Amino acid sequence: MTPARLCGVAVLVVLGLAAAAFTSVAGGLDLHRLLAAETGDITRVLIQDSWLPRLVVALVAGAGLALAGVLMQQTLRNPLAAPTTLGVAAGAQFALLIATLFAPVLLVYGRGLIAFAGGAVSIVLVFALAWRRGLAPNVLVLAGLVVNLYFGAASLAFILFNQEKLHGLMVWGAGSLSQNNWADVLYLVPRLVVTAIGAGILVRSLALLDLDELNARNLGVSLPWLRLASLGLAVFITASVVAAVGLIGFIGLAAPAIVRLAGARTLMQRLCWAPLFGALLLAMTDLALQCLTGANATLIPTGATTAALGAPLLLWLIPRLSAARSAPRPRVSVPIARHRHPERMIGLLLAGVAVMTIIALLAGQGADGWAAPFTLPWAETGAWRLPRVLAAGVAGVLLALAGTIIQRVSGNPMASPEVLGVSAGTGLGLLTLTWFVAAPGVWAMLGAGLAGSLGALALLIVINARAQFEPEQLLLTGISIMFAFDALQRIVLAGNDPRTQAALAWISGSTYHVTLATAVAVAVVGVAAVALAWPLSRWLDILPLGAPTARAVGIHITVSRLALLGLVAVLTAAATLIVGPLSFVGLLAPHLARLAGLARARAQMGGAMAIGALLMIAADWVGREVLFPMEIPAGLVATLIGGSYFMYRLRRI
Amino acid sequence: MIPRPCVAQPAAIRPGPVPRALGWLLLVAGLLVGTAAHAAPRLVTVDWGIAQNLTAMGAAPIGVGQIDGYRSWVAGPRLPSATREIGLRSQPNMELLSQLAPDRILITELYAGQADRLAEVAPVSIVDVYFSHGDGDSDVWDSTIAAVKKLGRIAERPAAAHALIARTQSAIQKQTARLPADTKPLLIVQFVDESHVRVYGDGSLVAATAERMGLDNAWQETTTRWGVATVALDRLARISDARIVVMGPVPVGVTDKIADNRIWQTLPAVQHTPPIYIPAVWSFGGLPSASRFARLIADALVNAQTKAPAPDAGWPNAAPEA
Repeated sequence: MTPARLCGVAVLVVLGLAAAAFTSVAGGLDLHRLLAAETGDITRVLIQDSWLPRLVVALVAGAGLALAGVLMQQTLRNPLAAPTTLGVAAGAQFALLIATLFAPVLLVYGRGLIAFAGGAVSIVLVFALAWRRGLAPNVLVLAGLVVNLYFGAASLAFILFNQEKLHGLMVWGAGSLSQNNWADVLYLVPRLVVTAIGAGILVRSLALLDLDELNARNLGVSLPWLRLASLGLAVFITASVVAAVGLIGFIGLAAPAIVRLAGARTLMQRLCWAPLFGALLLAMTDLALQCLTGANATLIPTGATTAALGAPLLLWLIPRLSAARSAPRPRVSVPIARHRHPERMIGLLLAGVAVMTIIALLAGQGADGWAAPFTLPWAETGAWRLPRVLAAGVAGVLLALAGTIIQRVSGNPMASPEVLGVSAGTGLGLLTLTWFVAAPGVWAMLGAGLAGSLGALALLIVINARAQFEPEQLLLTGISIMFAFDALQRIVLAGNDPRTQAALAWISGSTYHVTLATAVAVAVVGVAAVALAWPLSRWLDILPLGAPTARAVGIHITVSRLALLGLVAVLTAAATLIVGPLSFVGLLAPHLARLAGLARARAQMGGAMAIGALLMIAADWVGREVLFPMEIPAGLVATLIGGSYFMYRLRRI
Repeated sequence: MIPRPCVAQPAAIRPGPVPRALGWLLLVAGLLVGTAAHAAPRLVTVDWGIAQNLTAMGAAPIGVGQIDGYRSWVAGPRLPSATREIGLRSQPNMELLSQLAPDRILITELYAGQADRLAEVAPVSIVDVYFSHGDGDSDVWDSTIAAVKKLGRIAERPAAAHALIARTQSAIQKQTARLPADTKPLLIVQFVDESHVRVYGDGSLVAATAERMGLDNAWQETTTRWGVATVALDRLARISDARIVVMGPVPVGVTDKIADNRIWQTLPAVQHTPPIYIPAVWSFGGLPSASRFARLIADALVNAQTKAPAPDAGWPNAAPEA
């Protein structure tokens, strides 16, 4: 299969689907009758001002996102990079949300402008965080990730409290391509042209990034400025697409990956074929949706559905993609000064956990505002708080441990238990359950969550067994599962079904539903897992040095990776059942431990677990008290607290 | 210049002085009756429809979830100031609940998964409209009436519940008498953004009320369990014989873009019959919403008949809040 043949097939599919969709809108393929119809005829208007611009917008947006994807992946040297990696979409959504809630007057100037401004602010933030390191790819990816999480968590908190008011925004967030006139086409086409010309000018310098950093510099390329220009272009077109039609996932990641798989090896080839294929892919999905969703009572938005349908395709592609991978990715880790006495550091953190636990159990508001400790009966305060504090602490420990292991095994700073897809699998199980069962009980939720996480784990093993659990491929698998989950979540939110309230609260990571029995059960799992992980620290010290080194000192790669992966999956599933799939403690805690100078495997595990517990207990308490009696889920608060500190540290390295 | 209907500020929807005074009167009367008889049960609820019904029968709950949202979206009746916020509807605050020590907690089927948990604080009753009528023959109106009667029993105010039902029925009859003759079927829509609307169809309280007023509903396609369908504007193209009712709040920006919206302007229903506007009505569970809708739709239809449509009839004249 060559890229040309691939696109040829896609063109045929698009033409076939377009004919079918056209027939269902126009009531026949009679073009002549339509042209002869009067201007005010509704069928003619539907074709000329809705169907046709929608097709063109799908093509243009698909091309733009794919182009942005190629630029991102090339500049960041990471095949997992997507147009949204640097936080553009999350920033845009957050800006729109704030405008809708607090300054609706601004919306008169159009949603596009606000979305674009929000995207710009988040990208400036990301660049500022990574500027001191010369916009080094892995620092950029980290900064983008944390900005994404930060705005995502803040947005979810507002959505949780204002679901009714934000319904329109949810429809936008799910990427609906519906058009009423040609305004979006006229907005996007010039921007796509500008981006394409810019990419054409940069292509020769960008191709040098395939060499390693030193060689590129020796050939006279100014890396920071090249990165700034290339990422600027990618962000510009992404923000434009997001502003016009909302969030459309998957295309920007998948189109470049698929054409590369089809044999587009050089950057020039990928820059030519990926946008073409991206355009066709999005148009194909949108047309298919038009044909399928005749008389539905809920919206089936194209953007989110593309991602949901694309995920299985991506899963099928992954084993094939990795084989066709181009030059190896240089691993430049950020040097951090080691702490001389890791045990003192960990002891300090543990003392912090103890203090925070006492505060979380005894201090809090009651019906008459802040109550001094012990003034209210234990049955009305502590009895409710104890399971939650225990669960929050244990979940923090489990996720931090899982995160440390997966980051050390993969050597990828983006790795976290959430990114592995296990918690997304749990989330998929639970969302599906709330969709089909009106009011599921606690045990049904636990069962569905466990089934989902086991399903995700099975998928991970089946797909990655042949590649000996090669880390990059593993993460790509996990990200595909996350795509599916994220997409389903967006579809559900856009549907504005009252059933989503409960699901939303759970997704954002609340300890609300925990009982003492479940908290103790998870704590037991936690102790067992730590006991299992401790002896494996030799693997964790050596695996980050790469597979050849590990093999040389006698470690069986497949066995060690599979054992550690299984452990991570169990840890994640247990924690996710308590605090939902979006806590991101598993991502933040290991990084915070490393930034604190805890470098060896055991020190990092110990430090990360203490930080995880501290962060989650504090987040749970703050979330319960700050808006009392409203509760902000612990997962969201943890992301906001941990994220702020993370950004502060990131700026200084 | 296009006339603007009350722009997207649900908070602006406030009852005028007369209903407010009436509300206080009812409240005071309720309190007197309550103290004169034995102590009424202290109820809390997470559902706004239940809160609406209880308040209207003079047995306002002592705690309701997301009161700010109730104020913005449920136009009336107003909750007494003594009613406490108990947190998110999907996650009422357990510590606060056990301190308030209510006699009973009222939920809908939607929150049934938490019934066991809430039962640790107080007995729990499920009063539901949308799951009970399901696919059977009984419609949403009957389930709403049944729910109000059940609430009356729970609040130990059966007479007040019957009075509320009678009051609602007579209000609907009174408004029906005002309706102009030969009214077209209604297409009741609420804008989500400039390209999507939520249509109130079979199974929604609003459509059930319209039906009782002898008004047909033009939306004959499927709806969700709650009687609404969220669709893109082009789905309205097939409906030609209908009068579109735009229900508030209209999101900011929609009014400004409606003139450029070729689909909306060419919709057969818009071209044949000028659309009308009514302020927001909370359509999920409360009988007071039925009376409110009856009054608003009668006002709007009468206005549409007596006044000449605006020159650019593609967008409704703002109907002043009564």
